[in-house]
Amino acid sequence: MIQRMRSSRGPSGLVVVTVAILIGGIALRGTNRKGSRLPASPLMTGSVLAQSPATSAPAAAKTASSASATPKQTRARTSTEPAPPPVKVVGSKNAPITFEVFSDYQCPSCRNLYEQTLRPMMNDYVAAGKVYIVHRDFPLPIAAHTHAYEAARWANAAARIGKFEEVDATLYDNQSAWSADGNIEKFVAGSMGNADFKRLEKVMAGACMNDPGPVVGPVRFGNQGCALDAYIEQDKNLGRQVPVQATPTFVIYYKGQKYPAASGFITWPVLKQFLDSLLSQ
Amino acid sequence: MTENSSGGRWRIPLLVGRLALAAIFLFAAYAKLKPQTDVPWSIASIRTSLSMFAMQVDSFQLLPETAVNAVAHLLPPFELLLGIWLLSGIALRYSALVTTILLGGFFAVVVRSYMAGLEINCGCFGPGQKLGPWKIVEDGLMLAVAIAVTIGAFVIHRHRGERAVSVESVSPQSADS
Repeated sequence: MIQRMRSSRGPSGLVVVTVAILIGGIALRGTNRKGSRLPASPLMTGSVLAQSPATSAPAAAKTASSASATPKQTRARTSTEPAPPPVKVVGSKNAPITFEVFSDYQCPSCRNLYEQTLRPMMNDYVAAGKVYIVHRDFPLPIAAHTHAYEAARWANAAARIGKFEEVDATLYDNQSAWSADGNIEKFVAGSMGNADFKRLEKVMAGACMNDPGPVVGPVRFGNQGCALDAYIEQDKNLGRQVPVQATPTFVIYYKGQKYPAASGFITWPVLKQFLDSLLSQ
Repeated sequence: MTENSSGGRWRIPLLVGRLALAAIFLFAAYAKLKPQTDVPWSIASIRTSLSMFAMQVDSFQLLPETAVNAVAHLLPPFELLLGIWLLSGIALRYSALVTTILLGGFFAVVVRSYMAGLEINCGCFGPGQKLGPWKIVEDGLMLAVAIAVTIGAFVIHRHRGERAVSVESVSPQSADS
């Protein structure tokens, strides 16, 4: 009888033990892959956050060109005067909380996050000096987002003349319209006065026509490369370190601590609750 | 008297499955409650962790805000209690049944969100766990173990009941003797 019991227990017991170990291993593997022990990001230090893309633009251009240019696409760079860096931030950098968001201007979830969450946050917590928003471009190289890179170029050009917020807003507000036909310029022009738009046009012409720079961005997204692409690629390289696997992805910093990245759309009340819990620590 | 081995052969797999589920739920609760950065444990840090979990629940876009907060603040302590309950082995039929229902719900939500194309973090074992095919496989396996443990618990309970009846029927202390 005892031998019969042993032989009847053995196979089924082994199967369940194996399954239990497998589940435990998968569960632990999934958590140990990411978590609070994230590798230190270059964004952790205030000095890096305050670092203007201009100071890193030559390095970024070099990095970007070495990272993504192929022998077929690389062209010789003409000499240029140093250009002011695009400053794609909203609010005071002395705010205790930094909200760094990686987004794609043609991504519907990014638009929803901007309009339903970031906009009320800007009107409330950014205006009150509690939150500092840092925008990072992360245009996704997918068929449905053919104009995303070009939109990012316009945003970066606008940032150079201090009109980033206006262009950022108009790109999201009119996403459906310009996504359909790629006519981004019309909406950008409508977001500012004529004088400012003329300045913006000069920046775009100077960066993307007179001084195209190495072709680091996707050529099919524009008729040629653009010097502004260096900043977009810099943002994408920063995003790969997070790592950004989808847009929108945001990372929150508070008192030198970096909180795990989160993806997707969240509502303002829920985000506000988290920000309040940070501020109360 | 010969011992019926149909209930007996469930015991060890049942024990292993129960302990595995208990460990999973205890770890899940810990991962959601622990400070998400290098700060010490405190009420404030737990509150921050729960708020962070609320963001992950919200990203599933399934529940209104009040329900999001309720789930985010009640689920981790519930998982902790469930893990302790499973560990104790007390009323295993019921703890296993609750576990199966809970894991079934998680599985359905994860599959639904993945099919909807949501690129989000699951939040099941803390932040940073991306929702993807592996997550579905993981949840499916856990659900399978929970179902097996539930069935095993009911089988053993029935087996014990049958043994009690058979012992009584052959007892020399029966009223008719």
